Amino acid sequence: MMFSEKTRRGLPLLLFAGALAAAFWRAPSPPAPAFEKPATAAPSSLPAQFTAERLPDAGESAHAATLAQLPDGRLAAAWFAGSREGAEDVAVWFSVQGRDGWSRPRPIASRETTAGGTFAYLRKVGNPVLYAEGSWLHLWYVSVAVGGWAGSSINHSVSTDGGASWSKPNKLQTSPFANISTLVRAPPVPLADGGLGLPVYHEFIAKHGEWLRLAPTGQIVDKLRMTHDVRSLQPAVVALDEQRALALLRDAGPGPGRVQVSTTDNGGLTWQAGEALPVPNPNSSVALLRLKSGRLLLAGNPPNGREAMLLWISADAGKTWQPTRTVESAPDGGAEFSYPALLLGRDGRIHLAYTWRRQGIKHAAFSEAWLDEATQ
Amino acid sequence: MNPVAAYGLLAHALIFAALVSQLPLGEFRSRVALAATALSLMVGIAPMLHGIFGTPSLTLLQLALLQVAGRSPSPLSFKPALGLLCFVALFYPTALGWGPFDPYALGYQPWAILAALIPVALALFWRRQTLWLGILSLDLLGYASGLFANLWDVLLDPLLVLVALAIVARQGVIRLIASRTR
Repeated sequence: MMFSEKTRRGLPLLLFAGALAAAFWRAPSPPAPAFEKPATAAPSSLPAQFTAERLPDAGESAHAATLAQLPDGRLAAAWFAGSREGAEDVAVWFSVQGRDGWSRPRPIASRETTAGGTFAYLRKVGNPVLYAEGSWLHLWYVSVAVGGWAGSSINHSVSTDGGASWSKPNKLQTSPFANISTLVRAPPVPLADGGLGLPVYHEFIAKHGEWLRLAPTGQIVDKLRMTHDVRSLQPAVVALDEQRALALLRDAGPGPGRVQVSTTDNGGLTWQAGEALPVPNPNSSVALLRLKSGRLLLAGNPPNGREAMLLWISADAGKTWQPTRTVESAPDGGAEFSYPALLLGRDGRIHLAYTWRRQGIKHAAFSEAWLDEATQ
Repeated sequence: MNPVAAYGLLAHALIFAALVSQLPLGEFRSRVALAATALSLMVGIAPMLHGIFGTPSLTLLQLALLQVAGRSPSPLSFKPALGLLCFVALFYPTALGWGPFDPYALGYQPWAILAALIPVALALFWRRQTLWLGILSLDLLGYASGLFANLWDVLLDPLLVLVALAIVARQGVIRLIASRTR
């Protein structure tokens, strides 16, 4: 069949119109964002208790622990370990706390497995984040192909058997420039639509927190910035209600640092910088948790360094903070107790994991009553 | 198999073949390009490019395919290359953290970008840039396939920008030499 010149000329435009319609059809239009309603505050009935133990070693150098509770109630931990931070032999290690204590760690993501799953060269892996969502156990972790941590991108893997096996990693596309400079450190917050809000951060050119909105399918549907006057990193987020959330960030400015604040009152659609807390932050990661009583718990370091792991508590949604406990401290120069991760167990116990002298990971479990003993 | 990862790997293999096919290979060009595709997968060039540059855009892949197929001259001539460089001179710094506005985030719910592409397409049609209109249409179909979460990643990537930079620089050098020899 012969087309007239006019028809032939119009065909590309017709093709474009069809492609545009298909693209409009594909473009996501998620509902207005909202957080999953936080659990109703209730007093914790647990007596004062505190236990702590080292997790089995996985390498000469260990850092950046993360915690999750499996559907069967067991606690799972992941962290990165190897000969030194950033070395090629560093892997993300996984251990589960059973009746006999923590299991022997096993690697669940390495340079080799990540390269094999993403079909892309990479140089090192780093910060992991675990999150249990029903029978799914999510693992996000950073990897770098070129340069330092500022060149990181985020990989995502899922286990449906409590961490025994993991899906091949999938790289989250979060940046237009070789997908660099999005890192993860703190767990996500569940959203009302079944998706997740994942706090992440950016280190290249500028340093600031970011918020990735993930659809229930895992697809990124939005990305927001948490900007401050000072450089800030590693947001840790808790939802206060369906619309409001509080993010506390590491102060990466020239110092003396204070814990930086970002807030949202529209489900994470926009984030505003708040006034920095009167809580010190020596350019180190913090962890944030909403307790069973509705109070907020913050874990971090003292003003001058990482030689102590400290806790603060807030009974007014993060407006004011009182120091409660020093979980561990040591006066020697090599002491480092850093990169805390907090988790509220289903029994109301609070779990804290942190880097122990860069040699290993320590886990502490305690109750709200133990915290209250220190503030009374 | 992760479809995005597989796409990225194979696309980089073809892009490498397109780079190789720039050499003056005469009648062996297509065979050498095929061999370069296989070689880049076997010796790790494609995974290396994939790791360093990330997932290539469909625009770059289509330009590479046109190059491998022997279509000359490339639609990425001096003017489109210069236009792309001007655009990314603002886009990349802002998307990478300069200032509070992140234009890359617009690509996750790209209604505004899709709407902005309508006058672009009409301009291409008006100027009889049929090939670019076809490339843009296939880009959009690629986005509609669900392979890409962000529309910007379909349209452009840093390797495409490097190619554009090379084209503009080459043209600049040619003009400089021409002006000196007058």
